[in-house]
Amino acid sequence: MSLWVDKYRPTSLGKLDYHKEQAAQLKNLVQCGDFPHLLVYGPSGAGKKTRIMCLLRELYGAGVEKLRIEHQTIVAPSKKKIEINTIASNYHLEVNPSDAGNQDRVVIQELIKTVAQSQQIQSSTQREFKVVLLTEVDRLTKDAQHALRRTMEKYMGTCRLILCSTSTSKVIDPIRSRCLAVRVPLPSPEEVCSVLTSACKKEGLLLPPELAKKISEKSGRNLRKALLMCEACRVQQYPFSVDQEVPEADWEVYLRETANAIVSQQSPQRLLEVRARLYELLTHCIPPDIIMKGLVKELLNNCDGQLKTEVAHMAAHYEHRLQLGSKAIFHLEAFVAKFMAVYKKFMEDGLDAMMF
Amino acid sequence: MYLTSNGLASSAPPAPRAVRQETQSTMSKVPLRDAAAPGRVKHWVDPSFSDLPEKSFSAPGRRKASQSLGSRPEQKRQKKKGLEVGSGQLLPDDQDEPWVERYSPRTQAELAVHKKKIEEVENWIRAHTDTPKGGILILTGPSGCGKTATVQVLSTELGVRVQEWTNPSAPEPFSSTKHDWKTNGFSSQLGQFQEFLLRAHKYNCLKMKGDAGATEKKLVLVEDFPNQFYRQPGSLHAILRHFVRSSRCPLLFVVSDSPSGNGSFRSLFPRELQEELGIACISFNPVAPTTMMKVLNSILAQEAGRSCRGMSRPDQTALESLCSGSSGDVRSAINSLQFLCLPEPSLEKESPWPKQKAAPPQGRRAPALTNQRMKRCKRGKEQEDLPAVGGRDVSLVLFRALGKVLHCKREHPSGAEAAEDASAPGLPDHLLRHHRSALLINPELVVERSHMSGDMFNLYLYQNYLDFFSEMEDVVRASEYLSDADLLTAEWSSRSTMGDYGSSVATRGLLHSNSHQVSVGFRPLHKPSWLLVSKQHRDNCLAARSLFADFCLTPLSLQTQLVPYLAKLVNPLRSQAQISFIQDVGQMSLRRPPGRLKLETLTDKDTGPQEEEDGEEEEGEAEGEVLLEDEDMMIEEYTSD
Repeated sequence: MSLWVDKYRPTSLGKLDYHKEQAAQLKNLVQCGDFPHLLVYGPSGAGKKTRIMCLLRELYGAGVEKLRIEHQTIVAPSKKKIEINTIASNYHLEVNPSDAGNQDRVVIQELIKTVAQSQQIQSSTQREFKVVLLTEVDRLTKDAQHALRRTMEKYMGTCRLILCSTSTSKVIDPIRSRCLAVRVPLPSPEEVCSVLTSACKKEGLLLPPELAKKISEKSGRNLRKALLMCEACRVQQYPFSVDQEVPEADWEVYLRETANAIVSQQSPQRLLEVRARLYELLTHCIPPDIIMKGLVKELLNNCDGQLKTEVAHMAAHYEHRLQLGSKAIFHLEAFVAKFMAVYKKFMEDGLDAMMF
Repeated sequence: MYLTSNGLASSAPPAPRAVRQETQSTMSKVPLRDAAAPGRVKHWVDPSFSDLPEKSFSAPGRRKASQSLGSRPEQKRQKKKGLEVGSGQLLPDDQDEPWVERYSPRTQAELAVHKKKIEEVENWIRAHTDTPKGGILILTGPSGCGKTATVQVLSTELGVRVQEWTNPSAPEPFSSTKHDWKTNGFSSQLGQFQEFLLRAHKYNCLKMKGDAGATEKKLVLVEDFPNQFYRQPGSLHAILRHFVRSSRCPLLFVVSDSPSGNGSFRSLFPRELQEELGIACISFNPVAPTTMMKVLNSILAQEAGRSCRGMSRPDQTALESLCSGSSGDVRSAINSLQFLCLPEPSLEKESPWPKQKAAPPQGRRAPALTNQRMKRCKRGKEQEDLPAVGGRDVSLVLFRALGKVLHCKREHPSGAEAAEDASAPGLPDHLLRHHRSALLINPELVVERSHMSGDMFNLYLYQNYLDFFSEMEDVVRASEYLSDADLLTAEWSSRSTMGDYGSSVATRGLLHSNSHQVSVGFRPLHKPSWLLVSKQHRDNCLAARSLFADFCLTPLSLQTQLVPYLAKLVNPLRSQAQISFIQDVGQMSLRRPPGRLKLETLTDKDTGPQEEEDGEEEEGEAEGEVLLEDEDMMIEEYTSD
């Protein structure tokens, strides 16, 4: 039994649930047998990957769904061995080059070269090009991006690239201009609801529209999250009730509690407790920048309007340091300490103002 | 004649003098033979032993001297018992013998070790030599704190025969055939060690004639570890396990640990092994300055009684700084004392000891200074004018180094000083809140002496600083400085240069931001949990990626969305590993207070070694992280232009 997310993933462009117009355009794009390099971008959970897989299926038929996970070892010029996982079918190759860290340039060059240099065997029945799908392009080093740009031109004859990223801001201009950019926006709450309802219907369940709405709100229109939530609801309680609590990920709850702890008391002792909580989050695989983001979001809920700009500014300052520095906890804690001080001062001033 | 004397000289005890003697005799070999007697040669180097009787250079005399080496301890004891060492009883090898050996302690009272420690060791030896069941004891402590001396003294007093292992220097004679070499010689060190242990406890000593009162009590002493054990501690552990099972006599290890050492003690005798085999461990402290002073003074007194000629006796201040400079190492202190007391025939003006330099400034300025100033002055002297002779690098135990920064000791401005400060150009009004009294420590020096990289030291500071702050404002500034320090050392390519600045910013920042220096009393210090946390974070991320590869998700959505929700579903997973990972990582206990991280308390004894290892590891990892973050930065750079 697979997850609902995977089970009810549409497999062809025609079956997509939302952004149908874009789907039709993509269909037209591949109909003529060829297409340019693509840069698919959009927030997480919007369905980029689904769309790309549909596209590939449209292009090559059901063969692209026979996936195999390969473990490849690439030797860098510096004789350093890089190990990377790829997911491949007969027609395409999916790779996340940022897994290789700062050696991603080598990965890109080597992998694409090997794929692109081998011609398709039966070019009469198939397309004369293969597709390389690169995920998380926004996390590539600049080096790798420049390497990519050369590779794109060189192997245009035998290979098409589909780049997948959450935003284009970290993709260099030359690449952006060589690709056809396709933006996949988040589905609207109604679309999320309809997807959830149809998934439940296929599962033989009855989802009350109120609960669907609640889930779509809670998920922040992230469809993957919404489906996971819905499935978790099903585990929690069936038949669904309207006022059912939508289960959240543990770390989100934990983060909120952390934020509450910060707001409720500002002292070095409390900061020490918060530090322990941050450590806990980190050991549970939550990246530091996500912690920062979540923390700010929760803290801002507790802030007065005039404090919000200041807090946001502080958060930006320390988030930047977090990216530059090597020990994330230093910066996280500095942010929390700063917030505590600012908040404390604000509350004390407020009290003084009330007194007089 | 020269050749023989040369050969004999090299067999003399390895004193520096022996080397000089050798060079001299080879030098004098070059000229004609009639320049035989050293007195007649115009020497480049003034022989320090020119006052020796001439005959000591001749072979027979030397031989006699070296023969007497064997029975020296008895002689010594006689001398001791005869109260006064007769100054006429000058032995020919007098000057050659290092004082460390000559005045090595013979009784418990002479040991420069704390009574309790001696008692502890004595009790152990008593308990374990009386019964046939053997045990293992480890003596640790910094070098020169009297570990070996204690064992020797106790063994003679208790009448225990000590069998010591020494590493074989050449396992096989060169004449042996190649075949022999391969079969016997190759496995030698390990095999020999094992055999030594086996034999040592199996067979008693032969009763030799004249070996009066030879006892059956025996003790095996290992000071010199076969090198193999450092590379593969496991082999030692196996041998020890075997030994414990079959042993009949106690085994004693003497391991000196140094703060900058390679942490051999921990790898050789990990805690688990100590518990498993019931190994007792007694750790010695560095010799206290007062005790050391006593020892040095008694040596001086005896030496003065022995030979009244040509000994320059260092004054009290010189002795004091010798004591403090040797950082609790008796051996080095005595060695440098001997060197100081060398008769200086012609070098009067360039004495190796800054006698004149050390004393006057203090005397001259003393009246003008308050007591505290003087103390600081003295401290400064200790720190900066480390003696040219015998000064060891003073090292600080990590615990104390951290304490120095965190407790933030400043001068208390007394009346006179306040007036002085007022007259000096002070800070302008708007900066007055940044005014602090002078520090009693030099932060950079503290970091340097902690034997740790600045980065590591910062981590330790970070782990502990919150306990010492009471004001939120101060905490903000301190945390900001720590963040700055991390930023400075983030770039791996410039880290080697920036590391010092980073630690300087962190330590000084912490010191300065601690504005309300309340005396907090004793606070336990902890080891940084960040190393563990970041390692777990990375491991878990890698595990997630490899376990859930078939979901084809990006790491981010995998870690923040899929895994936490999988924990909430009853989806039958494929493997046990996945299930346990999800239970471990996907779920967070919300009710339980965050107590997963056990804080490891830093004790007085804990010094660099273990952390050093962690540090290296962390270094590599951090580099990886930085490289990763580097890419983000570069891309940002690009998009910004």
